[in-house]
Amino acid sequence: MKSPGRFVWILLMLVVLLTNGMGAFGLKVLSAWGLPAGIKFPYLTVWYAAGLPLIGIPMLVRGVYGGFKELRWGALYAVLSLGGQLAMSYALDYGVPGSVVYPVAVGGSILVVALAGRLLFGEKMHPLSWAGVGIGIVAVILLGVSAS
Amino acid sequence: MSLGLLFCILGAVSFGLLGCVSKMAERRRCNSSAVVLWMICWAALFMLGRTLTQSPIVHLTWPVVALAVGFGLCATIAFLAFQISIEIGKVTVGWLFMNLSAGVPALVSMWLYGEKLTPLKSVAFGLALISLFCLFQGNRLEAREATHEKSR
Repeated sequence: MKSPGRFVWILLMLVVLLTNGMGAFGLKVLSAWGLPAGIKFPYLTVWYAAGLPLIGIPMLVRGVYGGFKELRWGALYAVLSLGGQLAMSYALDYGVPGSVVYPVAVGGSILVVALAGRLLFGEKMHPLSWAGVGIGIVAVILLGVSAS
Repeated sequence: MSLGLLFCILGAVSFGLLGCVSKMAERRRCNSSAVVLWMICWAALFMLGRTLTQSPIVHLTWPVVALAVGFGLCATIAFLAFQISIEIGKVTVGWLFMNLSAGVPALVSMWLYGEKLTPLKSVAFGLALISLFCLFQGNRLEAREATHEKSR
């Protein structure tokens, strides 16, 4: 990775770190407001749709249009995201405690990506980065356990 | 319970494949903005369908809409930043950052709702910081090794 690329990467990682977790925080605020459970679906409709102008307008201005290829990958992305959420919610419905559901789903997903990164995409990482991944998985699991 | 555990594993595989699919899309030179745009389009459509078929239909108040827009924008920026990051960085590290970000709302909850800093949370935050240090340092060393290899 070249140094300008590395600077951009660090910046992007900081953006991911600050924004991704906060994206889900709204559901916690909703539950604190004591609103009915049924509000979750219209809330998530607006939650997803909110990003359309943010991405769509700059794309229109730059004359960038997503083709059929992007449409297909975007659909797969959405199915997997919603599928993961549904699977976790069904696991909770079947009586699996949250302290088990969250670590298995999240810790497991990082393991799947790490294995794919190594075996499918041929990503080579420094041993220190692998140590970071291992420690990070434990940290995410503990965060999940402490929240559930 | 065993069916519940099966759903847990399905959740792990589903989320894991999500990370892999984003890398596959990048390898096929898909436009990052367009992939994320279509993803939120499909997800919003699915949620709209689910909203319209539930009874009774729940109407949103303006504060809830504002909340959804604000946090939805956060999530969109995160997805887009992740999708762009894997063009220059590694998907494993990017995906870990996506998950480590759970620490931020945990910190905000402590400040906003006065939640206690339990020993377990303290350990989790400490490990998250060590992990971030290792990842950034590892990335610096990888960049240095790559430069050495090129100069040979």
